[in-house]
Amino acid sequence: MAEGKNLYETVIVTSAKLGEEGSAALVEKFKALISEHGTVQNVDDWGKRRFAYPINKQTEGYYTLINFESNPEFTAELDRRYQITDGIMRTLIVKRDPRHIVEPKPQKVQKTEEGGIDVEAIAVEAVEAEAGE
Amino acid sequence: MPERPEREVRRGRKGRKKVCGFCVDRAEFIDYKDVAKLRRFISERGKILPRRVTGTCARHQRALTVAIKRARHLALLPYTSD
Repeated sequence: MAEGKNLYETVIVTSAKLGEEGSAALVEKFKALISEHGTVQNVDDWGKRRFAYPINKQTEGYYTLINFESNPEFTAELDRRYQITDGIMRTLIVKRDPRHIVEPKPQKVQKTEEGGIDVEAIAVEAVEAEAGE
Repeated sequence: MPERPEREVRRGRKGRKKVCGFCVDRAEFIDYKDVAKLRRFISERGKILPRRVTGTCARHQRALTVAIKRARHLALLPYTSD
């Protein structure tokens, strides 16, 4: 990983009023913005979802999740752009801890050397914890 | 010296000790996107359930609180219902 860069995850909730194309276009714009300052790693479109509570008297919105890598300074700029863009209902930017990203493939970890040690350490810990109780 | 109440007796009322579900799963972090899971830790009114009800350990309760609040912000979970 390049130094000074962090992994982030952002969720954009756009208004259902924009329609599918309008929302996709907006997301595309932000993808472009992110690419300028970093690298987009993954985009996950959740589609239209019903809100748990009405936002600005609306009940639905389009959710899109983007994983990206960038300098920490960029998040402030991204947030600023979110705030001044119409059609965005809610946004979230969170930093991802690289230690937590192994998650999707836990079986594969065991095969690597370092992973093997880790798994053992965890197992020992578990035994100790059980003995302690 | 006053007699100490025996531990077993105190436990006797409601029986078994609760175990933190996240510790069992070895959860490193709690995902705000996992709405189905988070729902188990809020009341019908949308309030975050206390540790004494769910048995979550302190560390995971802290992480859980953050996750629920993030989910609420994105309208994945309610702040309140009715």
